[in-house]
Amino acid sequence: MVLLANRDRRRAPHGGGTRTGTASRSIRQQRWFAPLLLVAPAVVWLVVFNIWPSINTVVLAFTNAKPLGGGSFVGTANFERMLDDDQLVYALINSIVYMLVCLPLLTVLPLLLALLVEKRLPGITFFRTAFYTPVIASAVVVALIWNWLLDDRGAINAIAQSLGFLSGPLPFLTDRWLLLFSAISLTIWKGLGYYMIIYLSALGNVSRELHEAAAVDGAGVVRRFLSVTVPGVRNTMLLIMVLIMVSALRVFSELFILTNGTGGPGGRVMSVVMLIQMYSRGFTGNLGYASALSILLFVITVGPMVVLARMNRRS
Amino acid sequence: MPATTRAYAFNSVSPREKVLRYALLLVVLAITVGPFLWQLSTSLKGAGEDIYTSTPSFLPAEPTLDNYVRVSETVPIWTFAGNSLFVAAFVVIGNAVGATLAGFALARLRFRGGKFIFALIIATLILPGEVTIIAQYITIREMGLADTLVGVALPGTIGMLNILLMWAAFRAIPQELDDAAKVDGANVWQRLIHVGLPNVRGMLSVITIFAFIGAWDDFLWPLIVLTDPSNYTLTVGLQYLNGAFSANPRVIAAGTMIAFIPIVIVFAVLQRFFFRGVEEGAIKG
Amino acid sequence: MVRSKASITVVFLAAFGLVGCGLGSDDGEDRPVEVSGEVDGTVTLQTWALKPNFTDYVEEVIAGFEAEHPGVTVQWLDQPGEGYSEKVLSQAASGDLPDVVNLPPDFALPLARQGILLDVESADEALHDEYVAGGISAYEFAGVDGVFGYPWYLNTDVNYWNGELLDEHGLDSDHPPATVEELMDQARIMSEESGGDMYLISRKPELGDLVKAGIPVLSDDGSEFVFNTAEAAALLDEYREAFDEGLMPRDVLTDAYLGNSQLFIEEKVAWSTGGGNFINGVRESNPSLAEKIVPSMAFGTPPLYVQGLSVARDTSNPAAAVALARWITNADNQAEFARIVPGIFPSTTASADDPFFTESDGTGDDDAKVIAFDSLAQAELLQPVEVDEAMSTIVNQQISLAISGDVTSQEALDTAVSRLNAMLDTP
Repeated sequence: MVLLANRDRRRAPHGGGTRTGTASRSIRQQRWFAPLLLVAPAVVWLVVFNIWPSINTVVLAFTNAKPLGGGSFVGTANFERMLDDDQLVYALINSIVYMLVCLPLLTVLPLLLALLVEKRLPGITFFRTAFYTPVIASAVVVALIWNWLLDDRGAINAIAQSLGFLSGPLPFLTDRWLLLFSAISLTIWKGLGYYMIIYLSALGNVSRELHEAAAVDGAGVVRRFLSVTVPGVRNTMLLIMVLIMVSALRVFSELFILTNGTGGPGGRVMSVVMLIQMYSRGFTGNLGYASALSILLFVITVGPMVVLARMNRRS
Repeated sequence: MPATTRAYAFNSVSPREKVLRYALLLVVLAITVGPFLWQLSTSLKGAGEDIYTSTPSFLPAEPTLDNYVRVSETVPIWTFAGNSLFVAAFVVIGNAVGATLAGFALARLRFRGGKFIFALIIATLILPGEVTIIAQYITIREMGLADTLVGVALPGTIGMLNILLMWAAFRAIPQELDDAAKVDGANVWQRLIHVGLPNVRGMLSVITIFAFIGAWDDFLWPLIVLTDPSNYTLTVGLQYLNGAFSANPRVIAAGTMIAFIPIVIVFAVLQRFFFRGVEEGAIKG
Repeated sequence: MVRSKASITVVFLAAFGLVGCGLGSDDGEDRPVEVSGEVDGTVTLQTWALKPNFTDYVEEVIAGFEAEHPGVTVQWLDQPGEGYSEKVLSQAASGDLPDVVNLPPDFALPLARQGILLDVESADEALHDEYVAGGISAYEFAGVDGVFGYPWYLNTDVNYWNGELLDEHGLDSDHPPATVEELMDQARIMSEESGGDMYLISRKPELGDLVKAGIPVLSDDGSEFVFNTAEAAALLDEYREAFDEGLMPRDVLTDAYLGNSQLFIEEKVAWSTGGGNFINGVRESNPSLAEKIVPSMAFGTPPLYVQGLSVARDTSNPAAAVALARWITNADNQAEFARIVPGIFPSTTASADDPFFTESDGTGDDDAKVIAFDSLAQAELLQPVEVDEAMSTIVNQQISLAISGDVTSQEALDTAVSRLNAMLDTP
């Protein structure tokens, strides 16, 4: 709760007296069950389709369950197995690098893009729609296009070599780190449009008067961006940062697409979710170990979120 | 007067800025539309043309609409699209109502358990759900909803992510607006309708798009829930184009393009609402 | 196998109201299923990705069955190609498996171990006379007695060469490589002639290649993997050297998008392997390439790919289900199917002398068909059915690591074997 909330009071007027007065009156006006009625449907869905399966995951983590049968209690064996899993070490490092690179880029770039398409210019509907298409492009076509770009004999290597930047091709799709960064660029490419529209909806709330006042004061574009736009969308930005963190730690499809599901030589370019998928899919899937990995990922995700919440509270 | 010219400059765009903006728009366009163009061009290529080459050509040499005709001959497009539309509408309405109500209550009302519910929503958002799909199916089956479109739609009808997005939008409404309404004696419902909703239309259109696309594009879940082909959604039904022993990439691309159209329409219609947040809402006065 | 120990999954699924509809209903494990009754009533059939291309054929076969047994109604259901394992899994987990269902052997194995499939051997005395041994053995599994599916159509791999690219780069499309040694030699020539721009090889070895080379993968009792031998390491070393020499594109390490068949279709490499109907598939995407393709027999032991029809053990209509599975897989119906899809072959013994399979009209497609049919006589299931998707992923990762030169071949094989042994589900 504190994570995203506390900055909102910034907008509240400083006249504390009237505010407490109305607040206490509103408590009398607000019937006690009204909020419960409003959240009731959401809570039903939360319990049936989210919490119930989550409990399932937690229980499975202590069993050797398979999709069909099995499922004796095995204590903490699945968690002990993690300690010996050197693929998991690679996956954790990858997921964390992924998050650290994606977080700043995807927080800022979609906001800039939103500012670019915010202004009503002729044809802007077309651009907005076009920028959103990567979000919904089919995985098969994305794989084709990106391989065509990044392949040893692909467009980027061909251009770089013909311009004399490179003597030989860069192994974008086979070297561990290059592969990771190729996947990150794919994530950012897809994320641009996705986060752009969330920012757009928040930009409407940024007061134009403030912008104009700052312009009158002689603030340049950069200053106005930092002192008006960013504080104005701060709430949304924090929410977006949470979403980026969660989805970066859970990256799957980009790495899967670029390595054709192999996870690279030695499986060193797998993410944690790729490991979960590998173990859980199919008839012989090891649901127990996959569930234990899910819980590990949950714990790891909580960490950076707490950090973010702390930073937010301090500033 | 300098102030008015500045204000003028703020509302419209100088020619130089216009050129710069269009240049940037075109750069981003070039980066983003590749896959879309490739698919469009593949779907228009004639049977004599090679699809996969080391230097893809974006212009079909023998442009034809035959592939679209073949899709409509192979697959009952209208039935499947109707099913998809039903699921999407169900999910969109569910999210627009459910996520809005919950987002409003969590952001704007104080009540016992509110923080706890909020924490649970965040928690379920970060616990990976990869291993739960079979359990989810069994839940739906126990409700007697296996092989029904409602069964397909139900789990996504109130998305936890959408609640969070609506929550953020409601939090962004200035407190003084709400206070003013309270002073006027507005009850919870009136505050939601008259103060809340006009200021969150942007985010409401965003979650509508997310919900629509999520429902429209989903493949694995409807595949598992549905059995009778007459209930298939479009993404599942289009798999008929990808049969055993032969698959024509031109026809598959045409099918994908057809599935793409409704998304583009929904997006193009809703994107104009992104900006009608505060600027046209109650804060204006 | 479902054993009666109170397992948490069963308890858990019981909470979903699942027990009693398929899973956990082990009380009837040894009860013989009566299949000799009257063939009537309703029976459900599930196929995999046969609509709409083969709708007419399947409907005709069903009509024939219904005419043979008046009073029986077949409900046919066809599942899309993608996501089939998830679909079957959810059907099996919730007790909704159709009466007759198309399952490849690796899908059938876990279902058979759960007691969900009918042993058709005990239900059918003529089984061994009518179907080829290789097809039947694909549905026999270590740890469970019986045969858990009627073999249906068969396929194998054939080598396909881009004749134009071979001839352009100093090779002879009339004499493509016939052994792995010749492959390496010719790959070297191609690389030299093209200045390193064109490749012959674009695949790395897989578990199946070890089997082809005569290396045992799984111990005889199925309890552990044993392919980390010096011979296997030597085989990997050969590829590793070829990779180091630049005889393969670097993308082989990740099977870059769809692996060698996609590179072949893009004409970036000159060799691919594929089923007997591969050329037809190429024609759909790149018609100009299809005419340049030259087929030849696979190196070493050709792989055997089997599709089969299994019968659900708890079917309410076993007599009709078994009769339907037999009907669809009988010699006449299979022979007709193979004519509609050149490149797949019947699993019935009666089809062995059919001249359709042994005579080519001289086109590449037809040559491939004959080559594939000849190969079937020696074809074997290369990969043990115990090796599931996760296991093959791990093996591929380690082989790829060895090829890339980061670890020695022996180290990679040792890692793969120890990981796979940890994952092996001892029956």
